[in-house]
Amino acid sequence: MSERIEAATEPLLEITDLQVAFRAGKRDIPAVRGANLTVYPGQTVAIVGESGSGKSTTAHAIIDLLPGTGHVTGGTIRFDGRDITHLKRRQREAIRGSQIGLVPQDPMSNLNPLVRVGSQIKEALEANDIAKGNAADKRVVELLEEAGLPDAQARARQFPHEYSGGMRQRALIAMGLAARPKLLIADEPTSALDVTVQQQILDHLDSLTDDLGVAVLLITHDLGLAAERADHLVVMYKGQVVESGPALEILQHPQHPYSQRLIASAPSLASQRLTAQTRAEVRESAVKTAGEIVAEHEGDEFGGEATRIAVEAKELTKVFKLPAGGLGRTIDFTAVDEVSFSLRRGTTTAIVGESGSGKSTVARMVLDLLEPTSGAVEFDGVDISTLRNKKEQLAFRRRVQPVFQNPYASLDPMYSIYRSIEEPLRTHDIGSSKEREATIRDLLDKVSLPSAVMRRFPNELSGGQRQRVAIARALALQPEVIILDEAVSALDVLVQAQILNLLNDLQAELGLSYLFITHDLAVVRQIADEVVVMQKGRAVEQASVVQVFDHPREEYTRKLLDAIPGGSIDLAS
Amino acid sequence: MWWYVGKRLLQAIPVVLGATLLIYAMVFLQPGDPITALFGEKPVSEAARANLEAQYNLDKPFIVQWLLFLGGALTGDLGVSYSGQPVADLIGRTFPVTVKLAVMALIIEAVLGIIAGFWAGLRRGKIFDSTMLVVSLLVIAVPIFVLGFMLQLVFGVKLHWAPATVGGDASIGKLILPAVVLGLVSFAYVLRLTRTSVIENLSADHVRTARAKGLPEGAVNRKHVLRNSLIPVVTFLGADLGTLMAGAIVTEGIFNVPGIGNLAYQAVQRGESPTVVSVVTVMVLVYVLMSLLVDLLYAALDPRIRYA
Repeated sequence: MSERIEAATEPLLEITDLQVAFRAGKRDIPAVRGANLTVYPGQTVAIVGESGSGKSTTAHAIIDLLPGTGHVTGGTIRFDGRDITHLKRRQREAIRGSQIGLVPQDPMSNLNPLVRVGSQIKEALEANDIAKGNAADKRVVELLEEAGLPDAQARARQFPHEYSGGMRQRALIAMGLAARPKLLIADEPTSALDVTVQQQILDHLDSLTDDLGVAVLLITHDLGLAAERADHLVVMYKGQVVESGPALEILQHPQHPYSQRLIASAPSLASQRLTAQTRAEVRESAVKTAGEIVAEHEGDEFGGEATRIAVEAKELTKVFKLPAGGLGRTIDFTAVDEVSFSLRRGTTTAIVGESGSGKSTVARMVLDLLEPTSGAVEFDGVDISTLRNKKEQLAFRRRVQPVFQNPYASLDPMYSIYRSIEEPLRTHDIGSSKEREATIRDLLDKVSLPSAVMRRFPNELSGGQRQRVAIARALALQPEVIILDEAVSALDVLVQAQILNLLNDLQAELGLSYLFITHDLAVVRQIADEVVVMQKGRAVEQASVVQVFDHPREEYTRKLLDAIPGGSIDLAS
Repeated sequence: MWWYVGKRLLQAIPVVLGATLLIYAMVFLQPGDPITALFGEKPVSEAARANLEAQYNLDKPFIVQWLLFLGGALTGDLGVSYSGQPVADLIGRTFPVTVKLAVMALIIEAVLGIIAGFWAGLRRGKIFDSTMLVVSLLVIAVPIFVLGFMLQLVFGVKLHWAPATVGGDASIGKLILPAVVLGLVSFAYVLRLTRTSVIENLSADHVRTARAKGLPEGAVNRKHVLRNSLIPVVTFLGADLGTLMAGAIVTEGIFNVPGIGNLAYQAVQRGESPTVVSVVTVMVLVYVLMSLLVDLLYAALDPRIRYA
């Protein structure tokens, strides 16, 4: 983002052997164990690592905003030639905002919902004695414009809930830069946003910090993104800096095994390397197994002819009626507009689009959880809306199972893992309790979880483990089709790669068909065969993965592809 | 929004009808004969009894009594109490006293509860916080009539800081002690609610963002923690005004306050259906209006909520 600064310059930020710990009872649990890093004026440095690596903790220690019981137990932080490790409250408040700004991670929760956006930025100006009263109001509008928010004058008077995610992040950037700090800490500034929005925001942040000469400390779990945006990378693992150096050098010649693993798993980078051959092998094996299963199922209770096409959507349309103020007046909102696609047995069809594109609505209609306004979903050649008796519906549910995005929310916190996986078996009255237990052990084994996990509860598991449990639950009824609605989007890159591998293995072994719904084109290459690109409710492009990635037809698809961070970086391996 | 208000008021109609019918049935089923009670358990001549029964419609089935009451209430006539006073006058005299008492209690609990809860939440785990938790637990655990008599004895009888009973003239000075007693339990709830809410908000992301932009600690707590914490508290306080008015029966009994609670209590004892039902109707209306007010207040405090 900016030229390398001569080594002769004084560093702006210098962290030496930083130790941070969280107090639990009487013990200190270390979170950062001897981190070192240096940021020169105007430079962009990225800290990369998975969640729990201590990257955010390091960043928050700099401005003394550690959550809860966190405190610095050793080492020094020098900023602008001054030791700021242990400051008095007033000195600390003087540094925040005016010297070091922060752009936080989640734009949804980082604005006070009760205060107008303009007022929240004005606060930053007044607290740092930049401007007061009317002058401050005018400055707020300028700042919002500078952050790339259209119609800033009117927008400043609105509340956060009237903003989209991308707009909120722009407002937070305006806030972070309001007092013109020398260093901006950007903590995963775009991980909650759609890829295309993400790119716009990062481009804007780049040019803005370049113009103002602000140094940036970028915290991210996405190596591709880090390499694209920063001149210097710091890789953190378990509270320690395991590697640091120029971005390209680390990417092409990673020294530490962890950096090597991180590079291998980053979807944006890995998908370039994952050969089409691996995917083809998976598909071949899956299609074969699926064929055998179909032969077995011929003429079962479901009634339909088993066909090579598992699911076919025919001109699916969903129109929602939105209240338009006044007495019972509504306006029509077409969430899904004549979308057609088919899912062949043993293959994966991916539906890709930004939030609001209607992809999740499609998923809900395929699951028969939402009735289409017009069009039909056919499963095994039978229109699922004609399944009106309980028995047929139950049989359908048994053969099509969902896995949802948020593994924290889709498992009942009061149910043990055993009970969560057993529930579908019970509902469908399958086996005696002994047989069910054997099935559950087998399922946990399939998703590579130790059987000891059975007796534990969701809050005791990590996000990746929970998603494995959700997959085990979906597999319990031996379904033929699994609808994966953003099933890996909430996971860290390393865990994401593991889950994608697991899904590929299961598909090859069990002949499953996947409908894979995601906003992230980068993961699509690792799992999908066919791609449907959705924009504003319409399927704008459908083709095979290779075609979409190598020869995208639509402008919109090209935009999505360009937005994959680090996509254009050359890897040595 | 006006459509919403209208809808809510229309919904109040079945609530009032149901509540009055229920109360009529309960008073009707209550053991004891109101006429005998009226004559102080002395023998009553048949003629006088028949006369009185006809006058108060006691000879008719209770559903007819209820319909007659409703008919009267619609034309503004709530009937006459057994002592011969129009019920409307009785309510007109006692209702303002209870409102005054309940509002005083509400102010006391709101001001003290919010300040103490805010302070306790900011210094979670410190001595003030722990003390407040114990105190509020005690207040919640001890029955209100025990608290009432205790405070009456200590501050009214022994220390003479405030009048021990109220009697005919219900001035603000005289109502202080009963208002404190009435507000005590809710004070404990307000304190705990504010405290929890403040603790939750202190760890909110947007509060960290406010600190990060360089706001002084005091401003962060005032503008971003306290204000956001008050939403559930205000909701609770609004609903509590109705509860305070109904809950005033015990307190009014202890301090001999000439309020609506006392009126209802005496009417129940005498089996005076029109009086009991009229009081209850007023109470139901207060509840309905307060919960509507709370919902509107909620929308005013939280810009995310809009009613259509």
